[in-house]
Amino acid sequence: MPTALSLTQRISALFSPAVVRPTLIAVSIFASPLVGSADEWGTIKGRFKFGGTAPKQADLKADKDPEVCGKHKLLAEELVVAEDGGVANVVVFVRDKSVKVHPDLAAGKNEKVVLDNKDCRFEPHVAVVQTGQQLVLKNSDTVGHNSNVATVKNPPSNSLIPAAGESTITFQSDEAIPAQVTCNIHPWMKSWIVVRSNPYAAVSKADGSFELKNVPAGDLELQFWHEKAGYLGEMTIGGKSEKVAKGRKKVKVAAGDNDLGELVLDASLFSK
Amino acid sequence: MNGIMNTTVCSVARPLHKSALVAGLLLCLIVTATGCGRTPAASFRLNMVEATKQRLTTEQEKQVATVLLAMFGTPDEPVCLPETGLDEAKLRLSAGPVRSDIVGRKNGLYREHCAHCHGVTGDALGPTAAFLNPYPRDYRPGVFKFKSTERADKPTHADLVRVLHNGIPGTSMPSFALLSAAQVDALAEYVKYLSIRGETELALMRAFFELDDDALGKLPESREFLVDETLAPIAEKWKTAADAQIAVPPMPTGIDLVASIAKGKELFYGDKANCVKCHGVTGLGDGQANDYDDWNKAIVEINKEITSGSEKARETSTSGMSAEDLDEHRKQIAWLAKFDNVLDGDALRPRTIPPRNLRHGIYRGGRRPLDLYYRIHAGINGAPMPAAKGTVPPEDIWHIVNYIRSLPYELDGELGADKPMLARDRF
Repeated sequence: MPTALSLTQRISALFSPAVVRPTLIAVSIFASPLVGSADEWGTIKGRFKFGGTAPKQADLKADKDPEVCGKHKLLAEELVVAEDGGVANVVVFVRDKSVKVHPDLAAGKNEKVVLDNKDCRFEPHVAVVQTGQQLVLKNSDTVGHNSNVATVKNPPSNSLIPAAGESTITFQSDEAIPAQVTCNIHPWMKSWIVVRSNPYAAVSKADGSFELKNVPAGDLELQFWHEKAGYLGEMTIGGKSEKVAKGRKKVKVAAGDNDLGELVLDASLFSK
Repeated sequence: MNGIMNTTVCSVARPLHKSALVAGLLLCLIVTATGCGRTPAASFRLNMVEATKQRLTTEQEKQVATVLLAMFGTPDEPVCLPETGLDEAKLRLSAGPVRSDIVGRKNGLYREHCAHCHGVTGDALGPTAAFLNPYPRDYRPGVFKFKSTERADKPTHADLVRVLHNGIPGTSMPSFALLSAAQVDALAEYVKYLSIRGETELALMRAFFELDDDALGKLPESREFLVDETLAPIAEKWKTAADAQIAVPPMPTGIDLVASIAKGKELFYGDKANCVKCHGVTGLGDGQANDYDDWNKAIVEINKEITSGSEKARETSTSGMSAEDLDEHRKQIAWLAKFDNVLDGDALRPRTIPPRNLRHGIYRGGRRPLDLYYRIHAGINGAPMPAAKGTVPPEDIWHIVNYIRSLPYELDGELGADKPMLARDRF
């Protein structure tokens, strides 16, 4: 067998029926699943802070259904920073899809996640849902909405959600990038859903804090995403600037609390 | 190889004067059997918009192109793996340059009838595409609007045949009713081939992002990844499209047409079906004018990213920047310039999508009541039109269908005119 095949030769050999292909089963046998040494679990905490002067949230013009939507003060939510600098709506999740799940968290999958059309905006702005878990698209307004769910790996959907109505969807596959949910009737309405195959995903609250409870102790890779910045490429942790390619950061989780402290996100990340 | 040889033969035979011309023609005639005079070998274009969006390196682009070539062949020599479920004989009838085969049967149907708008690659970048409104369909995302299946599902083979046979009224898509059934069938198969190829390309390009850091930026070169995990799930949706057909109950009986139309009108303006929000109080399609379809929206979003990225790059001061940051800054500028350049050649200027004017009586997806039922039930994939399924009961959908079909003939109606107005006078 020749040792150095070109890319073209290697690829075409895969599809040539005459070639007996070595099976790759061996690889999967030796790939060890990521399991903590014992049943030890830790909680990862942290707080995102804006580095610099945060821009003000722009006013949105409710030019559709003004008699209903015009009553609410609608603000652009692509970047929400608290007065003390906390950055809301940053997504944090465990990258490994086959991560071991704490028994207490397994049942959470049976709870419904609600994405509400309320006051002519989506509540929450970023929702986390697991594969197989029910996502209820709800409408608490007195006007009709629709929810255009632009998933990539799952079949996209776009249902009418009449006043006081709801529609339920589930996802079979995780999504590499959070999927946008919009309303075509009210074009300013935008939200995101994070679809993962395990419960280890969190969204930072208004004060910038997040918490991933009961993750298996040991080495883990976290991934950070924000709608304006995309996968966060850089952050300052404990005063030290770190490059995090594709928003991936390796952490060592000890049993108990693991506080990452303040994670400062520079203003330049959000000027994309 | 073949192409190069032909070029050589033809250039040797370049006529210098009359006798040479005759000799040249003769020589060309002789070698016609081996292909002299054919158009140069055609090749598929790589989806450069997606490749640039995913920030693929030249090596990664090459890996995708090589995989696609091995899996799908070329526009002249298409191949298909059994997993695609495609019929290679039909593909061969559609593919390649226009010519007759040994039994005198026309080959190269796609390039004769389709490629000038839809492009050789099915990327809707054929030479005439920019002049059409709406733009021709880009097959690569595998999204089709006019079909009998649920919104996210693929069209059935019969759905594609129907569109080819009828054309799409109100657009530049003509009817191909003059082709034989076998030819239309072969073209529908070829459209599926270009879609499955395009979807596979997108999936491969997107897969780089999720690679582990130790994969050195290369996709696994295994059949397991390339075929079982990437191609097969895409092809499966095409193979099972017919199972996803919408079950349509018969039009309700026991209600006369006038009553059904009145009911439909109520639903049209009501909060549940909410048709009025986009199609407008007049039904003229003037309710929501600033939305985009998925194909155009993708380009709008990329344009935004390039504009703000360029602004940011301009404002960034490089003085005092570390060598590493400076390198990254330069890479970003190169990427923005590349993207700008790619869009120039591989994307058309985005256009908004107006909701359909329902008083024209022109229905792109077909004028049968059944076609309108499908559109309302499932919504329109790739377009803002949402699905009424689950919200509006089937018999109410039928009432809306009846109302919509009456709109072109409604006399004064919601237009508020004092006098009855004929449909043709309104425009």
